[in-house]
Amino acid sequence: MSPWRSLRRPAFVAFVLGCTISLITFPGLTLRLAGPSAIYWSFIPLAEIVALALICRKGNELLSFPSKVDLFFAGHLPWLLWLTGLSAAFSFLSPGEAFAFAQPFWLYYVAPAVIIWSAWIDFGFYRSILRSSRGGAIARLVAQRAISWSMILLIFSGSIVWQSPHL
Amino acid sequence: MKPGRVIAGVLLVASMAAGTFSDAPRRVPPPFLRGYQVLAADFHVHSFPFSSSTLTPWDTVIEARRQGLDVIAMTPHNHTWVAKVGQWFSKKINGPIVLTGEEIVTPHYHLLAIGIRRTIGPNLSAATAIDEIHRQGGVAIAAHPTKKYWPAYDAEAMRKLDGAEVVHPIIWRREDLGEQLRQFYGRAHLTAVGDSDYHGLGPVGLCRTYVFTHDASEQGILDAVRKGQTVVYDRGQAYGDPALVQLAEADGRLPDLSGPTAQDAGFLSAFSRITAILGMLVAMTLVYPIRSGGTTGSGGTSA
Repeated sequence: MSPWRSLRRPAFVAFVLGCTISLITFPGLTLRLAGPSAIYWSFIPLAEIVALALICRKGNELLSFPSKVDLFFAGHLPWLLWLTGLSAAFSFLSPGEAFAFAQPFWLYYVAPAVIIWSAWIDFGFYRSILRSSRGGAIARLVAQRAISWSMILLIFSGSIVWQSPHL
Repeated sequence: MKPGRVIAGVLLVASMAAGTFSDAPRRVPPPFLRGYQVLAADFHVHSFPFSSSTLTPWDTVIEARRQGLDVIAMTPHNHTWVAKVGQWFSKKINGPIVLTGEEIVTPHYHLLAIGIRRTIGPNLSAATAIDEIHRQGGVAIAAHPTKKYWPAYDAEAMRKLDGAEVVHPIIWRREDLGEQLRQFYGRAHLTAVGDSDYHGLGPVGLCRTYVFTHDASEQGILDAVRKGQTVVYDRGQAYGDPALVQLAEADGRLPDLSGPTAQDAGFLSAFSRITAILGMLVAMTLVYPIRSGGTTGSGGTSA
């Protein structure tokens, strides 16, 4: 697989992020918001690729890294459906109702279910694609998420992470 | 070309065209009421990166202008530099007045420092932090002061505090939190403030403060907040200087945007939203094809 083709799914994740930001802000899909947001929010798939590169140095050498990236991002459907649900709430409810719906229901109750669902898919990726043992797959799952989510949290929340750890 | 791709492409392009076409700023000049210029302000706005929000400072400024805000205070968590970027950009495009600020976030209180230039650390007591804000010429506003933050605001801090958020989006999450904001506001002679605490969910300026000033400059706005010259609405209920509340009520031009309000009206906006959601779902079925015997397949990828 060519490196460019392997970026199809990460690029789609960035595209959906851009659309979501436009829909929850505007509301509507406007080039002014969706375009730039998709570009600067591509830091999320990029962080995931970096983390994947760090933990996938070994495992199924028959598969190229671009193919691993493509197959890894095949497990992002739960997150994309979650983002689409958030977009739909802000598209069709009034801002006050959507805010009340998003917090706590969508963010605090549905997101954990999405985390578990996507973890199950990622676990399957490490087991069947990278041919990890059960323990190895769990270790890789935890390591990939710890690395990528730390990077994402640092960029998203910045100083609050290191200055106010109790919040 | 596969029909699915055509359908997804048409839906998303149509959505983007309709949305972009309907994306016009609300140009409402600030009204004058008995010599006061009334500015719509949101004093609690976060941005991306490092401040837990979705839009960059420049996109936030443009969005604030589109939402009819005359003033915003950019209040990143425990730092100020993102706010300075927003202020610089807004001056370049002749956008809304951007006040630099910071939300001082500690485990004990959240405090808005509006009009400051240097970062104030989160390791001070509320009273000391307020002193530092005042030393820099800023105003101190208690951010979403719900019950868990009350112990940090002792008698000394309450005496020094300039204002408090009495309207904030958390009131739609839990009505008891709204009651707590109102109780805190009632504890002292504080300036009434309504803020959206914009983190990217919903529109900026969803909750807003009407500032009555004779001088539509950064200094004039800070002075007006210090003097309590504000009016804030919460679902028909008004807070602030009683004389100004009366003045605004008699005039009737200040919109009460708080509370669940109707979405932006208009066919293009609705069309854009519907086609966007449909387009995203159709595109997902192409990028993540559903295979028999499993949830998602590898989309034809092979080693």
